[in-house]
Amino acid sequence: MSVKFCVELVWQDSDAGIAESIFLTSDGRVILQGRAVPAADRQALSLPQKAAMISVDRRLIRAIKEML
Amino acid sequence: MFLRNSWYVAASGHEAGRKPLRRVILGEPVVLFRTEDGTPVALEDRCAHRHLPLSMGKLIGDTLQCHYHGLRYDRTGACVRVPGQDLIPPSARVRSYPLVERYRWLWIWMGDPALADPGRITDYHWLDDPSWGAASEYLHVKANWQLIVDNLLDLTHLAFVHETTIGNSALVEHASVKVQRAHDNVAVTRWIIDQPPPPTFVKVGGFTGNVDRWQIIDFVPPAFLRLDVGATPTGTGAPEGHRVGGISMRNLNAITPETETTSHYFWGQAHDFDIHNPHTTEKVVAQIRTAFLEDVAVFEAQQVNLDLVPNPPQTDINADTGVIQARRILDRLHQEEAAAAPRVAAE
Repeated sequence: MSVKFCVELVWQDSDAGIAESIFLTSDGRVILQGRAVPAADRQALSLPQKAAMISVDRRLIRAIKEML
Repeated sequence: MFLRNSWYVAASGHEAGRKPLRRVILGEPVVLFRTEDGTPVALEDRCAHRHLPLSMGKLIGDTLQCHYHGLRYDRTGACVRVPGQDLIPPSARVRSYPLVERYRWLWIWMGDPALADPGRITDYHWLDDPSWGAASEYLHVKANWQLIVDNLLDLTHLAFVHETTIGNSALVEHASVKVQRAHDNVAVTRWIIDQPPPPTFVKVGGFTGNVDRWQIIDFVPPAFLRLDVGATPTGTGAPEGHRVGGISMRNLNAITPETETTSHYFWGQAHDFDIHNPHTTEKVVAQIRTAFLEDVAVFEAQQVNLDLVPNPPQTDINADTGVIQARRILDRLHQEEAAAAPRVAAE
């Protein structure tokens, strides 16, 4: 039987806004939910072209500080 | 360490009557009784004269007479009679506590009376809502109240402690858990999809195949946990909000610290099926009672070890996420209450 136990953490700000999720997986990883950074943004913002990158909102940073 | 500026359940409504009831709450002795018109009253359970518990005395009309030397106190805690003398010393009074009867429980406020807003009492309407069948019970637990809160926020223990009633291995091995934290609240939502039902669900729900099961835990500080639990036959749409053909229940918990190492555990179970049948209510409650007595054995064994070595290091795992978030809220509230300490003055 495969093990499937995953915990999703969600922070709700005082303005009732919901942060994007943090996932704790059964293999010990912490995975953040965000949006992929497109090539055009990477170029315009002088970001690395090849690294795996995601964009997250500030609520997620608050969630990391408060919940992890 | 207790949060004082909060409502706590002091007793079930039926426990308080014309015979004084002693109950220690947050380390303070309290006596509960009802006046002749049925109004519930909570006073400090310690005579201002020589400290005997007033609960050893008796009610004379609406006054409580101390068993030792006969001093009488009214519902406000003021001494109104000292046998053998006319003068009543101004210091002859005991503390009175705000007390509200709601949801078949008596709610007491142990902090600053000026802050006692009944609007802040946590909603437990399922216990007296005619659209639910429900019953509540009381357990005295020889363990710190936070051990009980921890237990209810991490239901993976059901798979191991309660395998004959409400637990099975699917809870751990096939569950997705979402922990949502707001300023003063933690919600832990767990879905177990297309898995066998636990024994209790088979008994009270009559399931014959796999189910989609939910556990939605709502934590309100300091120690209120309301669980929305149930199951429907797999694939009938419960995860999308379509709860039909199954059972839905509310497991309702209110923990009141007695001392740092003992607790009053008030709990109830409400069900949305066969609601007018007391035998069904008893069948449901009996299953939960069995499980909770298994929990009490765990709490008390934990406390024995904690008494031997206080505050030992402990390891957290993923399943503790809800517990950790609740403890952080409690830590913040303790700090806020300590910072406002001058306002938490006794009467």
